[in-house]
Amino acid sequence: MKFSKWFSVFAVVLIFGGIAVSQQNAKKRRGRAVLDIPKVEEANTICFALYTVSNKTLKLTAQLYPLGEGAPLKACLEIKENGVWKEVASTKIIKEGWTAPFRVETWDDSKTVSYRVIHGKKATYEGTIRKNPTDKEEILVAAFTGNSIHPVHGGDISRQDIIDNVKKVDADMLFFSGDQVYDHHRHLAAWLKFGRDFGEIIKDRPTICLPDDHDAGQPNLWGESGKISTLGGASDGGYSRPAAYVREVERAQTSHLPDPVDPHKIQQGIGVWFTNLNWGNVDFAILEDRKFKTGPAGRVPKQGPRPDHIRNPEYDPASVDVDGAVLLGERQLKFLNSWSSDWQDAKMKVALSATIFCGGAHIHGGANGRLHADMDSNGWPQSGRNRALASLRKAFAFHLAGDQHLATIFHHGIDEFRDAIWSFCVPSIANLYLRWWEPLKPGANREANSPEYTGDHLDGFANKVTNYAAANPEKKPAGNLLNTRSAGFGIVRLNTGKRTIKMECWPRNVDITDPKTSQYPGWPKTISQFDNYNPSSWGKAGEITFNVADPVVEVTDEVSKEVLYTVRIKGKTFRPHLPKGATFTLKAGRNASDQTVATKLKVGSDKQSITLE
Amino acid sequence: MLVWNETTQGLAENWDDFVGSGADDGLVQRWLGVLAWLYLAGTVCALTVRRTSTYQLVPLLLSVVMLGFLFYAKYLGAQRQLPMLIEHGGQFLTPVLLVLGLKMGPRHPMVMNLAIIAVTLTFAGHGAYALGLWPTPSNYFAMTKVIFGWEAATTKVFLGVAGALDYLLCAGLLIAKWRIPSALYACFWGLVTALARPVAGMSSELNFWGADQFVHEALLRAPHFLIPLYLAVFWYKPRKKSTGDLASVTESVPDS
Repeated sequence: MKFSKWFSVFAVVLIFGGIAVSQQNAKKRRGRAVLDIPKVEEANTICFALYTVSNKTLKLTAQLYPLGEGAPLKACLEIKENGVWKEVASTKIIKEGWTAPFRVETWDDSKTVSYRVIHGKKATYEGTIRKNPTDKEEILVAAFTGNSIHPVHGGDISRQDIIDNVKKVDADMLFFSGDQVYDHHRHLAAWLKFGRDFGEIIKDRPTICLPDDHDAGQPNLWGESGKISTLGGASDGGYSRPAAYVREVERAQTSHLPDPVDPHKIQQGIGVWFTNLNWGNVDFAILEDRKFKTGPAGRVPKQGPRPDHIRNPEYDPASVDVDGAVLLGERQLKFLNSWSSDWQDAKMKVALSATIFCGGAHIHGGANGRLHADMDSNGWPQSGRNRALASLRKAFAFHLAGDQHLATIFHHGIDEFRDAIWSFCVPSIANLYLRWWEPLKPGANREANSPEYTGDHLDGFANKVTNYAAANPEKKPAGNLLNTRSAGFGIVRLNTGKRTIKMECWPRNVDITDPKTSQYPGWPKTISQFDNYNPSSWGKAGEITFNVADPVVEVTDEVSKEVLYTVRIKGKTFRPHLPKGATFTLKAGRNASDQTVATKLKVGSDKQSITLE
Repeated sequence: MLVWNETTQGLAENWDDFVGSGADDGLVQRWLGVLAWLYLAGTVCALTVRRTSTYQLVPLLLSVVMLGFLFYAKYLGAQRQLPMLIEHGGQFLTPVLLVLGLKMGPRHPMVMNLAIIAVTLTFAGHGAYALGLWPTPSNYFAMTKVIFGWEAATTKVFLGVAGALDYLLCAGLLIAKWRIPSALYACFWGLVTALARPVAGMSSELNFWGADQFVHEALLRAPHFLIPLYLAVFWYKPRKKSTGDLASVTESVPDS
């Protein structure tokens, strides 16, 4: 009995002692962020405000700190006209998430206007609604992803460098592609911190936020039209957190976006927000590449311990491209097909989504984490990926995204290498999880003097991709912060005059206006808008000259009746780029391709002049 | 990173050799593969062990170290949430219970006390999550919603009640009159929560009905209902009179 008593005491001491020591050590470590909602004075109850202007409608969402008992649940929006503040909207504050969504229709977007949000008698928050920069030749988008706040990898380091740089270049628009919040349970607290960190630049320019997996409170997200996920890791598809939580997240991050083009709710009453925003003659498609996507668990043959990770390089990629697996879903594809043909007030098209349409990394998490393929990427399902790319290339759309924790430039291919759009995946603000683009074989058809990891490759799903740059982090993880983990942000310069797209990838804590400052290797990279659908196997038809500058043209296959592409050309002349061996009909118009102007168009056909009405 | 220090640096020439270069496996990766075989060996030992076989008893005890490593990793993965560490107490102590049960007999107070500790740790961990003392795991809400169709507010009340009952049963295990009902409730609730995974997740639309994704989730939680069942059975049919300690209605069985 004595021995047994001593053993029991020993076991209890061991367990609880171990826990206590572990907790003590945890306190000493510089790891997790302390995330609290600070108590603020009545005058400071408005944390920040986000807005967009689209189709003459201003949508602005003010984010408030939690209000005390008895505080008014009404907020007002005022603008300054001739030096006098004038109320243009008022709204009820939504307690679940403390947001105040304003809407002002018949907004005059030709003027820059000061605004202020008012709550109660003391709280005000001021900013600027910019005029639509249609007179600017270059639209500058500052793009971000992955906003870890944890000290262990530098997440606690001030964002002031980002604030300063965005102000210096005076970005026209901000794009946060996802993971603005990494806390899976306290979105409000983390979102308020995001607002304290970035509100200074958000308040004065349109901002697009796409809530991604971590924002929704789960490590990965295959939304599967709002299904409930019960599997750890959520690879069975659906949302792990209660629908009310998801709705609150989406309300905070997206209620200021232009109205959804197809607002029907999905399961659990979760809303949708995919839409488009025309700003500065650039038409941005705002996509939800997670919400409808099928979860892989139970749908595809397991190729490793995790249902979403394929570790077996010998597997058959076709075996996971299963029938019924969805990526963007029919509703979004329908929207994209409509969006790609609509060039009203648009000279260029850009797609914004959480992540890129390929497996854009080989090594995940740590230096030993080589994965053959990751189904969290938009490389899977392959058929869905190809459908999305086929829709986007019809508009010569450039793709801007994040999520990967690894900045890359890819030129995507469907049937042949480089026959679809380009993508720029921007680096994380602070990098929670490391990834590397490190193919085992050198890429084919590389540019001169470029690294071996560039060039033509098949990703883990056998998708055709051509890499031009990858900001791989250092391998050894000890003691590294921010830039050794390839943290940073992207700048995209969309030149609507020259029709060029310049991608810049900057590290943190540098002055990007200093000519001595270097970007990550491989950047900057400039492409033409027309590179987004320029298969090398195609040929050119004869030059077509119009009587007006920059008309919209649409090319349709005469046999299949499928639209090959629609685009607003640059200038008065145009040489259609076409597949060989087929004939096409050309439609054109000043703002829409509403007149049939040529038939039997083919590679090598004669040049012609066309007069548009 | 956890095990890369001055001591372990001697095991490999450089970082790439230690964790792998990406193109090749490193020391850690090769040993992760070995660990799977060690767990399998532990399973075989558990199924075939005899009280006189030291060659099976010692590996079983050593498997506790491996389980400890696994659960500590899960604890780290959960950002050092205390309930994540203690809720695995039942699973962690199962091999010890088996070895001690074989060597000392299932009615030995040390075995029964250890079983009480195992059950208490498991349900205290679950209860802490269910009550929201630490953030309630998403799948608690998700499974309840799928099985019962309740909204979040109702589920929260339900989980709060379940969490409070978890702590009541822990206390009940220490009170003579409440022991058997507490152990029976623990057995019931442990079985229900283990089965909730496959019940909520499996579907005829999935390959193998999703069995390959969810059944193991129930199996690995078997200690959650089998340990309290063991306690209930041996408390219900005590061999001899009380001896006054924690396992007061039991008496030890001689070692041989």
